[in-house]
Amino acid sequence: MLAVVKQENILTHFGPLSYEEIGFLLNRMFAYIDKQGMGITIKKKVYSAMVESLENIYKHQDIITNDAEYQPRFTLIHKDKEFSLQASNTVLSHKTPPLREKLDKVNALDKNGLKDLYKTTILSGNVSPKGGAGLGIINIAKVSENKLFYIFDEINEKYTYFTITVTILLNQLK
Amino acid sequence: MEPLYIEPTEFTPKVFFDPESSTFEISGFSRPENVIGFYRPILKWLEEYNEKVLSQNLDFSKSLLTINMKMTYFNSASSKFLLDILLEFMKFHSKGNEVEVNWFYEDGDDEIQESGEEISDMLGYPFNFISYQP
Repeated sequence: MLAVVKQENILTHFGPLSYEEIGFLLNRMFAYIDKQGMGITIKKKVYSAMVESLENIYKHQDIITNDAEYQPRFTLIHKDKEFSLQASNTVLSHKTPPLREKLDKVNALDKNGLKDLYKTTILSGNVSPKGGAGLGIINIAKVSENKLFYIFDEINEKYTYFTITVTILLNQLK
Repeated sequence: MEPLYIEPTEFTPKVFFDPESSTFEISGFSRPENVIGFYRPILKWLEEYNEKVLSQNLDFSKSLLTINMKMTYFNSASSKFLLDILLEFMKFHSKGNEVEVNWFYEDGDDEIQESGEEISDMLGYPFNFISYQP
């Protein structure tokens, strides 16, 4: 007999994103988590992962192709015992190797390793005023406490469609 | 010197830096659309405060500066600037001023509590951790 896994698609966004819409999506997530009676830790973790992912889309949405298929995309799903967040946006193909390197680096680290990396990155002076240098990715990895799953889908020589999937397990939390 | 007061918004925290009482509060949410535009004037105010107030105090006994950080959320871009603000206070401390950092967190909010512990560790300076009921 197959086990039925309850899955609820809480949020979906497709297309360019305004700063106000980020707030709107965050408020809808808050309302959902409150309705489920979940605690502050899960709420803050999902919130952090959402802000960093949505702001990443917002910052890079000027790099956009006319192809309707490759527009910014965001989904938040609540499966039985986890939240799964997926964010996609177009990046310049030549920027994918350093991004892949950063993702592999955070995936290789445990909680303390991520804290150390955050500390050395923020104190290095290499952080751009937009919060670059991968602080956002380290932060996502810290709150997720799981490996980040990613895909680089090459659109053409110039552009690549980047998708990151972040999982937050409910049974790890209060 | 005039105090610095910034009204909170949906995206930005309340800021109240009061030279008269030597208390400095930042509280609320921080994910400004223009993070530099929001935080640079605060850092600039602190530079002026150092020149116009702290450097003018030639007494042997220096001021006690109390910083109240009561954040409910800040994104990674804001964390860089919050650290820069606290680093300014560390400079004031190295010039002989006493500095007390009160880090407030909602009871059960591990994320904010741990962020405070990490920042305290980065600065190598102890904070007072104070939980409150929402």
